[in-house]
Amino acid sequence: MPTAMRSKGFIAIALLPALLLFLIFVIIPVFWSAYYGFFSWKGFGDATFIGLDNYREMFKDPIFWRALRNNLILVVSSIIGQVPIALILAIVLFKNSFFSRFIRSAVFMPMVLSTVVVGLIWGYIYHPQFGIANYVLEMLGLESWTRAWLSDPKVNMLAISIPINWANIGPYLVIFIAALQNISPEIHDAAKIDGSTGWNKLMQITLPMVWSTVVVTIVLCISGSLKAFDHVIVMTGGGPAQSTELLATYMYNSTFSVYRYGYGSAVSTMIMIVSAILIALNYFATRRKSS
Amino acid sequence: MRPKRKIGLVLLMMTLVLAACGGGQSKEQAGGNEGDQEKVKLTIWHNFAGDDLRAKSVRSFIDQFAQDHPEVTLDAQAIPPDGYRQRLSTVAAANEMPDVFFVYAGSQSAELHQAKLLQPITEVLDAHSDWKDKFLPGAFDPYEFEDGQIYSAPLGMSATSILYYNKALFDKHNVKVPTTWEEMMAAVKTFNDNGITPIALGNKAPWVAQSTIIGSIADRVTGTEWFKKAAAQDGAKFTDPEFIEALGYFKELVDNKAFQEGANSIDNTQAEQYFIQGNAAMMISGAWTLTNLAASSSEEQMKDIEVTTLPAIPGGKGEANTISGGAGGGLALSSRTEGKAKELALELIYAVSGPEAQKAIAESNSMVMYDTEIDESKVTSLYYKAFNLVKSTGITPVYDAYLSAEAAEVINNGLQEIMMGGAVEGVAQKLQDAQARSATP
Repeated sequence: MPTAMRSKGFIAIALLPALLLFLIFVIIPVFWSAYYGFFSWKGFGDATFIGLDNYREMFKDPIFWRALRNNLILVVSSIIGQVPIALILAIVLFKNSFFSRFIRSAVFMPMVLSTVVVGLIWGYIYHPQFGIANYVLEMLGLESWTRAWLSDPKVNMLAISIPINWANIGPYLVIFIAALQNISPEIHDAAKIDGSTGWNKLMQITLPMVWSTVVVTIVLCISGSLKAFDHVIVMTGGGPAQSTELLATYMYNSTFSVYRYGYGSAVSTMIMIVSAILIALNYFATRRKSS
Repeated sequence: MRPKRKIGLVLLMMTLVLAACGGGQSKEQAGGNEGDQEKVKLTIWHNFAGDDLRAKSVRSFIDQFAQDHPEVTLDAQAIPPDGYRQRLSTVAAANEMPDVFFVYAGSQSAELHQAKLLQPITEVLDAHSDWKDKFLPGAFDPYEFEDGQIYSAPLGMSATSILYYNKALFDKHNVKVPTTWEEMMAAVKTFNDNGITPIALGNKAPWVAQSTIIGSIADRVTGTEWFKKAAAQDGAKFTDPEFIEALGYFKELVDNKAFQEGANSIDNTQAEQYFIQGNAAMMISGAWTLTNLAASSSEEQMKDIEVTTLPAIPGGKGEANTISGGAGGGLALSSRTEGKAKELALELIYAVSGPEAQKAIAESNSMVMYDTEIDESKVTSLYYKAFNLVKSTGITPVYDAYLSAEAAEVINNGLQEIMMGGAVEGVAQKLQDAQARSATP
């Protein structure tokens, strides 16, 4: 049996079911949807081939660019929000005391909640009349800061990015703690002998040792933020007046509310292209830093 | 030993894959089967999935049909309304419609008809002419896609622009219930001065302002004729001055802070609660609010609430004392259902939308497009008031029932834009562009 396990044939066969499922439910639909992107199609009835017209229309549509901008706001906010906070928490909560375990679970909590629940909770926090956010500001004497957080187009993207970051720090924290635990104790000992402690040790030893993990989490942040959909749908539905539209909600609305499957498919293909570009950029940017 | 085992594994895998591929096909053709002995399989999809009285009574009529027809295997699926449209368009895309399904009046059913997925149910209507005749005028308008061919019988009426007001608050602040636009603006001012929200609005799902407010106001300004022409893009445009003026009235409400702050980020149900708790003096909403309030608030809270129509607008071309509305959704028949299955499907439609069902629906605090007497003791007092109000007023079209799906989306978002300070002309232009695109394919 051990030899059989090692044989390439067996590996291929063992991979086959997963590969088939992946192929049928992920890879093929992706290409299929890219193909529909070249059609004007209502979802039923006849589809007419229109070449690149969907893409041309997309580039001309200001809502598409606004959605892209909102997505980039989310990408930036999650990279500067989630990754550093998760890393700092991981370093601080690395010890296995009761207190740090408690805080770790608390930070992980929102991840366990369904995104709909998170959306509803924050919807109430931001509620223009009864929301805690406005109430706290009034208590602090900051009446002038109170506003309808989710409908004021100047702040609503920011207001939305806070719960998204809040809900997503948990898994990064776990990833970072695992990465920190992977640093072998000899390195710590060697550092101690060389007299490296505190800040110096963090910058010279710890960060470089977990750098590859940081890169991975940034990739996860980018792809996660570009797929972001559920929180926004629950909190604002992309509104008001499409001011919080994201690429994914834009795709969803043009597909399922306006019945333009062809156009929606083109948008979803675009989402994939944009994330590929951003992830490639990130790859080159962080590779230089690490070398 | 080893090669044999390998072959065994490969064979096992192949069988699994083949079995997976074969599974889907066995259920086919059940619908069209004739043969007297065999059970006929019927599927029905509807969105009466909730726990409210109306959904329960519709479901009970479906269950009753299944009991009365042992020869039918009835597969009834109640799909929650939020996901219903999507589920239906998904199966429509795959051309796998259930035999009988609930459709909405307006662009959804029109598009399904265009895609040749529906067939008329005229024969069952003609067979029960006493039933057909008791439908209110206009009940079949949205479903008569060809002359003399009717594709569905409405299960309800959407009355979308009832003005609900809190009589206690009006009395307390000595405000007259507005019958003209001037009185409306005066009421808005008085309530604002007293720290009460004049009109509660929950426009997070952006169809609300369009369906409840603009349709009715615009009809008063432009008249119904104009709107039908503009929707057909035949001799009128949404950039015409009368429509700009109509949007202007909406902007006037916004500019005078008639709606509470952040109305675009709370949903309709939250606005209903805000209103029923006495935080707002008025709410412009549809008949669904009657059903919601009946389920969620006490008689005590509801006794101060009265209903009327939106105020008249001076110099408008349309009639005052009207409510925007029309036939609600109904059951439609799939174009693929044939033979014995079709006969039974039509009977099923009659069982669920026939006279008894209409009465039961009306008595579950939900409007119907059908002339029926209801028992006052079975419904809430507020519903009874509204039921009689709607009987006595004219009905004008709801905007999104006539606009294309895309144009409806544009005006929905456009109203939110106006609420955020956008210009009415730009919104009118975008609406015109969107409707023109879909009217001339």
